[in-house]
Amino acid sequence: MATLTLNALKKRYPNGHLTLHGIDLKVAHGELIVIVGPSGCGKSTLLRSIAGLESITEGDLWIDDTRVNDKEPAQRDIAMVFQNYALYPHMTVFDNMAYALKNRGIPKQECEQKVRETAKLLGLEELLERRPRQLSGGQRQRVAMGRAIVRSPKVFLFDEPLSNLDAALRVQMRLEIRRLLKRLGTTAIYVTHDQVEAMTLADRLVVMNGGQVEQVGAPLELYSRPATRFVARFIGSPSMNLITLEATTSPLAKHPLVRDMPAEPMEKAATLGIRPEHLRITDPLQALFRLEVEMVEPLGADTLVYGHAAGIAEQIVVRLDGIHPLEESAQLYLGAERENLHFFDVEGRRV
Amino acid sequence: MATFQHQRLTPWLLLAPQLVVVGLFFFWPAGQAIYQSLFTQDPFGLASTFSGLQNFIDVLHDPEYLAAFTVTILFTLSVAVASLCIALLLAVLADRVIKGSRFYRTLLTWPYAVAPAVAAVLWSFLFDPSLGRISHFLELVGVHWDHHINGGQALALVIIASVWVHVSYNFVFFLAGLQAIPKSLLEAAAIDAAGPWRRFWTITFPLLSPIMFFLLITNTTYAFFETFGAIDATTAGGPGGATRTLIYKIYEDGFKGLDVGHSAAQSVLLMILVAALTLVQFRYIERKAHY
Ligand SMILES: Nc1ncnc2c1ncn2[C@@H]1O[C@H](COP(=O)(O)OP(=O)(O)OP(=O)(O)O)[C@@H](O)[C@H]1O
Ligand SMILES: [Mg+2]
Repeated sequence: MATLTLNALKKRYPNGHLTLHGIDLKVAHGELIVIVGPSGCGKSTLLRSIAGLESITEGDLWIDDTRVNDKEPAQRDIAMVFQNYALYPHMTVFDNMAYALKNRGIPKQECEQKVRETAKLLGLEELLERRPRQLSGGQRQRVAMGRAIVRSPKVFLFDEPLSNLDAALRVQMRLEIRRLLKRLGTTAIYVTHDQVEAMTLADRLVVMNGGQVEQVGAPLELYSRPATRFVARFIGSPSMNLITLEATTSPLAKHPLVRDMPAEPMEKAATLGIRPEHLRITDPLQALFRLEVEMVEPLGADTLVYGHAAGIAEQIVVRLDGIHPLEESAQLYLGAERENLHFFDVEGRRV
Repeated sequence: MATFQHQRLTPWLLLAPQLVVVGLFFFWPAGQAIYQSLFTQDPFGLASTFSGLQNFIDVLHDPEYLAAFTVTILFTLSVAVASLCIALLLAVLADRVIKGSRFYRTLLTWPYAVAPAVAAVLWSFLFDPSLGRISHFLELVGVHWDHHINGGQALALVIIASVWVHVSYNFVFFLAGLQAIPKSLLEAAAIDAAGPWRRFWTITFPLLSPIMFFLLITNTTYAFFETFGAIDATTAGGPGGATRTLIYKIYEDGFKGLDVGHSAAQSVLLMILVAALTLVQFRYIERKAHY
């Protein structure tokens, strides 16, 4: 159990590339933080800086009440699960798990007992004498988890630990990891680019973009009140429709729901966001726009409808419940509730 | 399937060049050696009489042969151990260098391009009692160096020259091996509280062991056979047989002494020795080297 505090953390690689532009984050005892963001936004860099595998260029990193910027990885008492698991190929599963304990000079008997306990927790008892290459991907993943858990560190770090597994196994392991972490009550930071994983695992979600934190919050909070246009698009699948409001003369801008926005933000609003699942078929009088259907994707539980509307440049996606036998070239009048409309200004901030 | 099975000729054609080379340069001379080791020849090659295993019995009772055997073991062990250790050290250091690493690596691989005999001559110049830089320096610190007289020093000189050439060869393999070890393994070990020294011995070294094993075999073979040039060009087996290895003795007896029968018997013994050593290495060390 520990808290983790990042204070204006910056990382510049030796080649001059500024990868983290000042990250602020406070992680509470036993909290599970998930970091998401597009490829190359600095998620791994952030994790590696916390682990001590990369030096921190500027800012402070605190674990509990200790500033650990200049501490070796071993002294920080963290454990990390790597994307490729990084199991020691020449050691048995047992030795892989016991390695960290041995290095810390823990007596052999205690070592053995801890490894066996952890193996039991993860269902690895049968595999203790095997080498990593004799294990399946899922089992290797479990061993990597075991190696992290066995020495009860203060903080767990996960760098896309499930991305090498197939879809079904990923769902199963996701649930297991969540259950395990809550049972152990250890503070953890989990990096992923899979947003279902992010939404289901996180106590709080951190969305990163270009080396900066866009928003931090509970998954549903990010879903219902995205702070920026980037977060709005990144969270939710299919992603939110973002409609440019070019002039107050466009038919959409004249719609009461949009027009009756309080005057001041309305002037600033440059983009209107509506999630596909929040668009509903209504009568022509209340509709925001009329959609000319171009493509229909029936998924069974719901139906995705793609099309364009007069005066709107962007393609619109609608998610309708159930099965809708729609002709391509059919027309739909679509509306939405006021609270499901999101407005963003020119810089992409929520208004 | 049908075409796959019916292409019987192609594999043989593809193997042919290799088979011809092995046949011509190994099996044929080896067969000749075995054949000749069973005969006693007069020095002019005019007459030979079958003598069974008498040549082998003679050789094994020859104190000079046993001396050459001791020299060979000493030489082989020193060359293999020293060139492996130095190469590993250099590779570990070069692996860490970030700036100008290409330069270091190229520089360190160069000696391998030098023929062993040339390298040996070069070193014997450096150690030359009257002209050499190194012997001059040794004189200053109170060591009198003359490998023309001192047997131990002569052996040391040949060893140094052989090691110098072979270090580059081992270096290339070690460096490739080091770079094939995923960085994340060492990072994981660092997080697992292993210091640099421990990381090396528990992660890097075991992961290099297959390469180490391969090099151990090639180095041993190298020291047994291929250092003939180095010895011939510098000490010619002397002084007093201090650098007369098994391979050099075969040459001396066969080509200088014209005693073909005994020389052939020694060749066969050497062949058996190296084959046995390689077999032992495969059976016992490889088991540990695998992971
Ligand atoms: N050692 C390095 N030297 C210089 N630049 C680096 C180094 N490592 C990463 N970068 C750069 O830093 C940026 C962030 O990389 P990072 O690996 O943290 O991304 P990421 O968010 O983990 O991406 P992904 O989802 O693809 O894993 C990238 O632009 C990358 O090119
Ligand atoms: Mg990454």
